[in-house]
Amino acid sequence: MKIRTALLSAAAALLASTSVTFAAGELNIYNWGNYTSPELIKKFETTYDVKVTVTDYDSNDTALAKIRQGGHGFDIAVPSQNYLPIWIQEGLLLETNPGQMENAKNLLPEWKDPVFDPGRKFSVPWQLGTIGVAVRTDIFKGDINTWDIVFNVPAELKGKMNVVPEMNDVIFAAIAYHGGTNCTNDLDVLKKVRDTLVNAKKDWISMDYGVIEKMGSGDFLASVDWNGSVLRQRLANPNIHYGLPKEGFILWSDTLAVLKDAKNVENAKLFQNFIMDPENAAIISAFARYANGIAGSDAFLPADMKDAPELKIPEGSKVTYSVACPPEVSELYTKIWTEVMK
Amino acid sequence: MARQFNIRNQTGFTVIAIGCFVALYLPIIVLVAFSFNANTSLGNWGGFSLQWYAKAWSNEAVIDATLRSLQIAVVAAIFSTTAATMAALATTRTEGYRGLMLKYAFLNVPLMIPEIVTAVALLIFFAQVKIWTGYTGLGYLMAAHTAFCIPFAYLPIRARLEGMDLTLERAAADLYATPWKAFRYITLPLLWPGILAGLMLAFVISLDDVVITNFVKSAGQETLPTYMLGQLRRTITPEMNAISTVFLLLSIGVVAIFFFVTNKKT
Repeated sequence: MKIRTALLSAAAALLASTSVTFAAGELNIYNWGNYTSPELIKKFETTYDVKVTVTDYDSNDTALAKIRQGGHGFDIAVPSQNYLPIWIQEGLLLETNPGQMENAKNLLPEWKDPVFDPGRKFSVPWQLGTIGVAVRTDIFKGDINTWDIVFNVPAELKGKMNVVPEMNDVIFAAIAYHGGTNCTNDLDVLKKVRDTLVNAKKDWISMDYGVIEKMGSGDFLASVDWNGSVLRQRLANPNIHYGLPKEGFILWSDTLAVLKDAKNVENAKLFQNFIMDPENAAIISAFARYANGIAGSDAFLPADMKDAPELKIPEGSKVTYSVACPPEVSELYTKIWTEVMK
Repeated sequence: MARQFNIRNQTGFTVIAIGCFVALYLPIIVLVAFSFNANTSLGNWGGFSLQWYAKAWSNEAVIDATLRSLQIAVVAAIFSTTAATMAALATTRTEGYRGLMLKYAFLNVPLMIPEIVTAVALLIFFAQVKIWTGYTGLGYLMAAHTAFCIPFAYLPIRARLEGMDLTLERAAADLYATPWKAFRYITLPLLWPGILAGLMLAFVISLDDVVITNFVKSAGQETLPTYMLGQLRRTITPEMNAISTVFLLLSIGVVAIFFFVTNKKT
């Protein structure tokens, strides 16, 4: 009898203790790999006494597929801005209204009310940036703030220009070059886009992602690339500069949102508010090397990022958000892309 | 008299063979070499250094993922080998009957199904189970790994059983050994190298898996291969080379054990 009561009370104590650890809180984050600063996670864990796990994904499609099926156990995901509207339309996200949270006052004006999440009802910015051109200015002395050097490659850069193989970003660039708007279905513009891309490709060395490596080794003298990547290239070689085309360029943003079937909603909301704090946003940027859309975070950035020109967007630039185009438009773009990649 | 046919005397044999070896091993040698690079670059040599090994060793995420991978691989290897041994016994120690071929086929179908198909099927299926039960632990990954490891464990065990001398088992039965005793003292000791081979193979296959794991994993269940895949979106440093090298040594170690065990003279 005694043993039984002892066992029972032991079991009860065990149950109680496990439920206590649950009560202290958990948070399960589903994010791109190598993108979450461990320092940020530690700080959140000690501040709120919450156990955080970070699990990686490698593409927007993988993440979307898994969350759609349910039963995943995640509280937070970080879709890119062009995918976010799909997540919202499919009802995968919880309306946490981060735009109304305490730290939302720190959002930079251009990120307060973006087209992909009007009024910031679901998401907060994680990391964001631009797509432009990295150029070795010791080799090419001309104007680097134009798509013309990509689509009409100057002699110095012929056969040394790389373009990252991102369909939408590259086609948007060519559309901007011809004065069109993102997701245009104007066939006149698209014909020019196709001809431009097909002809320009002959002067490119490759369409490759490994830009940092090959700019470093001198295999590329210029490349269409993301700003954070160019920042790293410049730190390795001061002759590499980042051009933002005057014809117009794209803004992208990975955004952090709470999932509808999240188990730890309160902690997830805390985290959304937490990363809009300038000091915490700076921790993310210091790790991932991109900007964060939070005012005042510059003060907390490491020295080599504080005044980095790559992270700034000059006043009066022609910028647009990269968006997902309607299916019939995407189909046209895919056709152009196939022809370019041949 | 015509010279006996020997593949090694064919023109171009040496060239083709060397070409194959270079294509197979050169990338791996480069990968291992650059894990000792003092630079952060994958392409530019900057002197010898062990810093990336130190960095990987002190990276909690890597250690966590490695331990989880090993844990899953051990469980999956043991369960799949047990199942495979029973399946191999049931399909070899019997008279042929209608449907036996069908059973062989069924056991080996997982080798033929594209991994992504299994992965998507498991994603959909397990997602439902996770919602019903509320349990999201490592059990799903272990079950999935066990399932796809079975055919890999089955093949060497069945091969061993088919090569074994049946008369020994018959002799045991003639000498009034019960079926269990005959199995315990005759079949099992003879079969042992096959079982070990199956076990090692299943272990390595489970350790390597990316696609299925990526689809089945729940929160906080990163394995080493999925962790490595996740690093690809951003710049890779030689830390990845260091991790890959250790991973490679681990796999080679397991295969080496398998080799020595199966080649032991009995």
